Amino acid sequence: MRVMQFGKTILIGLVFLATTTVALAEKIVITAPGQQTIPLALTEFLPAAGQPASAALVRELDQVLQSDLELSGLFDFVSRAAFLDDARRIGLTSAEVDYAQWRLLKADMLIKGTYQLEGDRLTVEARLFDVARQRMLSGRRYVGQLRDLRTIAHSFADQVLQALTGDLGPFNARIAYISRASGAKELYLMETDGANPQRLTSHQSIVLNPDFAPERKELLFTSYKAGNPDLYRKELFTGAEAALSRRPGLNAGGRYSPDGRWIALTQSDRGNTDIVLLSADGRNRTPLTQHWGIDTDPSWSPEGRELAFVSDRHGTPQVFIVDRDGDNLRRLTYNGRYNVTPAWSPKSDWIAFSRLEENQFDIYIIRPDGSDERRLTFGPGNKEHARWSPDGRFLVFSNDAGGTKAIAVMRIDGTGMRIISPPGVNCQHPAWSPRW
Amino acid sequence: MKKWMACIAVALLVGLVGCAKQPAPDTAQPMASDQAQSQPVAQPTMDQAPMQDQMAVPAALVRINFDFDQYTLTPEAKAALEANATYLKSKAYVNVSVEGHCDERGSDEYNLALGEKRALAAKNYLVSLGIPASRLNVISYGEEKPLVMGSTEAAWAQNRRVEFVEK
Repeated sequence: MRVMQFGKTILIGLVFLATTTVALAEKIVITAPGQQTIPLALTEFLPAAGQPASAALVRELDQVLQSDLELSGLFDFVSRAAFLDDARRIGLTSAEVDYAQWRLLKADMLIKGTYQLEGDRLTVEARLFDVARQRMLSGRRYVGQLRDLRTIAHSFADQVLQALTGDLGPFNARIAYISRASGAKELYLMETDGANPQRLTSHQSIVLNPDFAPERKELLFTSYKAGNPDLYRKELFTGAEAALSRRPGLNAGGRYSPDGRWIALTQSDRGNTDIVLLSADGRNRTPLTQHWGIDTDPSWSPEGRELAFVSDRHGTPQVFIVDRDGDNLRRLTYNGRYNVTPAWSPKSDWIAFSRLEENQFDIYIIRPDGSDERRLTFGPGNKEHARWSPDGRFLVFSNDAGGTKAIAVMRIDGTGMRIISPPGVNCQHPAWSPRW
Repeated sequence: MKKWMACIAVALLVGLVGCAKQPAPDTAQPMASDQAQSQPVAQPTMDQAPMQDQMAVPAALVRINFDFDQYTLTPEAKAALEANATYLKSKAYVNVSVEGHCDERGSDEYNLALGEKRALAAKNYLVSLGIPASRLNVISYGEEKPLVMGSTEAAWAQNRRVEFVEK
């Protein structure tokens, strides 16, 4: 099965321009996205001087950039109908920008850029200007091929977020998920806005629950291909697949430790469903939990020192936390009778989970010390299996409010929800990759 | 009058049978004489199962069901497992895949484990009834393979099950 060649032929040169100034003194800290928005003027990119225009190219670049920046929740977009003629002038240096025009429109931030297509070679220049301080906050030159256009747009959106908040955005990444589109449950990959879905497996059986390796372009997943739920890993560049754990019974819910050296996994070959820690080469394992009930569904803390997991040892499924050596096991969730699928934020500050209440799943977040529990989703449908973006600002999850299970993303405060999976097919078990 | 005499006769005979300690060459004998001297307590018919088995060997393995979020065996489940054990003992060459399933509610990950616990519970009970563990292979499908589609209580109840598949 051919796998898309991420990185093989991409030539993206990121050139830091001499005039890039990073606004260190004034990082905007967004604690509640949506409440403190920045008026942003996003202009359509222009053809580089003397170069022909391409409406289709501009449209796609613009659509990706706008969609990512809108999802961030940081911005209020200044209406393009109000733009004056500076929007139609190339402005790649601060000196070339007529800031007065943008102040008139009450824009705080301005994005401008140019593009140039020579054969298949694409060059994009992108700039973020601070209108009030009249200076450039971020400048990038991207060189690649025409098919790298969306990657370029996602990358610049990530840069904009970094310039303004100190944290790189998560948009130049991938979402892995499970879909029945081919008739059986197989593993798929798509961009963070849902573009370019691609099937990765042909097991023609049942594939479940993918997880990305922290460094390598690699996915773990469980498959019944050999007649038992076994753990596989798949290299994304070469497409190579190998079974990693094939103990009789479950080898399910594999989760890489943040340092990539261990995999937490639910197994049952010793007569009970428990969580073990498997070395990444599959050779050594140590038990993490040993209880006669159900222990499953592990999620590592970002430091790799603790794991959240689900256990029914108190009667119904609840989320617990344990040190990676098995000590200090304590319960996290006390509200509700059925709390599952914990996901520890990469920022360490929250654990997301799903609660089943009155026959419906909704997503909640809670502090690792058990305080400050908040419900994020409302309305009909089951919202489950939340996983974090690498910057801890967004959640990807499954939502069946429309009748079929679909993949959705939303901000950490529960706003901005949008469906990103292809319509009409059951899609579930999403995972957000590290930056691509 | 006759009835009263019959009762005494039966009582005497029961006493005789009960005290017979030496292995009787033919245990059917007391019943035959019983028949001759009084109203028979029970007339064995030709197609009735022999006295030492409680039920006939079932025609096939039967599935068992569970309550929501439970992996404990209900009395009905235990009875069905006992029938399955009888079947398996009568066919010593048959191995079985013990497959655990859940209804669509609940999270997929948790349901994989729940299905596994259900299958393990069934397997362990069969082992306790004398079926060698090596003949029983456990696998969980969680909520991945419902028997009945639909989001009704009836559908859910049917999907919470362990299936026994001959291999």
